[in-house]
Amino acid sequence: MNQQKLKSIFAEALGIEESQVTDTLAYNTIPEWDSVAHMALVAEIDDQFDIMLDTDDVLDLSSFAKAKEILQKYDIRFE
Amino acid sequence: MHTFWNNFNEYKDRVAVVEQVGKAYTYSELQQDMERLQKKIRASYKQLILILAKNNYEYIVSYLAVLQNKDAVMLVNADLEESLLQTIIDSYQPAYIIGDVHHEDYKSIEAGILRRSVAPDYEIFQDVALLLSTSGTTGSLKFVKLSYENIAANAKSISEYLHLQTDDRGLVNLPIHYSYGISIINSHLHVGASILLTNDSIISKEFWKFVENEKATSLAGVPYTYQTLLRIGFQKMELPHLRYFTQAGGRLSEKLISVYAEYASRFAKKFYVMYGQTEAAPRISYVPPEEILNKIGSIGKAIPNGKLTIDEETGELIYEGPNVMLGYAKDFNDLARGDELHGKLHTGDIAEVDADGYFYIKGRMKRFIKLFGLRLNLDEIEKQLEKTLRKDVFCVGTDDKLFVVTDVMELKEEIKRLMEDLYKLHRSAFQVKVVEDIPRLANGKVNYVVLKEMML
Repeated sequence: MNQQKLKSIFAEALGIEESQVTDTLAYNTIPEWDSVAHMALVAEIDDQFDIMLDTDDVLDLSSFAKAKEILQKYDIRFE
Repeated sequence: MHTFWNNFNEYKDRVAVVEQVGKAYTYSELQQDMERLQKKIRASYKQLILILAKNNYEYIVSYLAVLQNKDAVMLVNADLEESLLQTIIDSYQPAYIIGDVHHEDYKSIEAGILRRSVAPDYEIFQDVALLLSTSGTTGSLKFVKLSYENIAANAKSISEYLHLQTDDRGLVNLPIHYSYGISIINSHLHVGASILLTNDSIISKEFWKFVENEKATSLAGVPYTYQTLLRIGFQKMELPHLRYFTQAGGRLSEKLISVYAEYASRFAKKFYVMYGQTEAAPRISYVPPEEILNKIGSIGKAIPNGKLTIDEETGELIYEGPNVMLGYAKDFNDLARGDELHGKLHTGDIAEVDADGYFYIKGRMKRFIKLFGLRLNLDEIEKQLEKTLRKDVFCVGTDDKLFVVTDVMELKEEIKRLMEDLYKLHRSAFQVKVVEDIPRLANGKVNYVVLKEMML
């Protein structure tokens, strides 16, 4: 469920199709994921999961796979 | 006039430029590399050189080599859309292009340098040194013409009020085709200090590693930079080498000014809120950091050697100083013209001044609309709403309709109520729109032109 939720957050924040959101999707590899979109993405993750990502995690969140790994630290589980 | 680009031999083995990859270049190496390029592009007449700039050493070399040669240089964003770039090339017909581009009128003389096949046949006024666009991404053909004196004088003023010294290591985290970015370079080289070049964004790990490893003494930002810095927790970073940080390129909210002023005082750093325009090379005024908490929202006082006044009739802020541009250009024909402003710039901003001589921008002259005969200042409305909402809102409009734009759906009703209460406006006179992604320029500023188009 969280997997799907995160996928739609990515699609929404970056303005791309959900089918484009795969584990390998990474920051700066598509024009849609630039620094401005990154901050929108972070804001959306904060909001939707009701958390506040730390500085290091905001900077580390460089791919979809990495996002899942980071979110586990905030007790958000991905099966 | 001390033209810093003619003075590099004096600093010899001091480091002039450090690149993100960690390579450092001394002033002697910089001078040698400039001379190497000059030999390739020198002509018996004054020419225009176009640089498709990125924040890398080779473009700094090119920029300085052209200045030293007394040729004219045009800095353009290397990422500019191809067809926009072609239009600029056709309109200005530069003798050389430094960067990565193809154009039928140009032949490559070596990697990254193109020469116009038929030598351009137009005149360039002797004082024209630097052409900068006032908008980084739209590819407008309108460029600001700055003279050698404009650049040198502004570099000197900036280095004075920032108290720059030879051991400073200024981070250039803004694009060098942007007037704020190039002014960081100019002011540091003016005193023989070092510049740290990066193309990375403040949200990348590499960026902060570079800041730490290279012991950056300053960083710079537009309002959007400081909004982002807040979210990534800059105000908690100690950054022991950082001596000061600067903000320009638009109005920073009062809340954020307080946050950063308090951060600065907690960690014994200085926070400079500044104001300028590309037309002034670009710095016009600054708030002395020790006054920042007393003068929140002010653009401060004129820089050393500059003077600010307010036109009594129109309320327009007028700046006078040696850094005021020669004029605008729309194509190569305009490069022959001499100084048209004579050191006096009409900023287009409406301002007020307080009893201590601190200036406050009240809005753009052009950001006024007339609704039912009522003169409304869009910037003022934004400010008022933000005070209550504690969230950014954006106003655009025409003379018959006002749009208030937010990216927070939940605020819609509250904004409507506020607009009716504050301005006694009828609901039909304005619309509150929710836009998820506020359009922004490459430098992070709100793109009001696009935003307005979206509304109409």
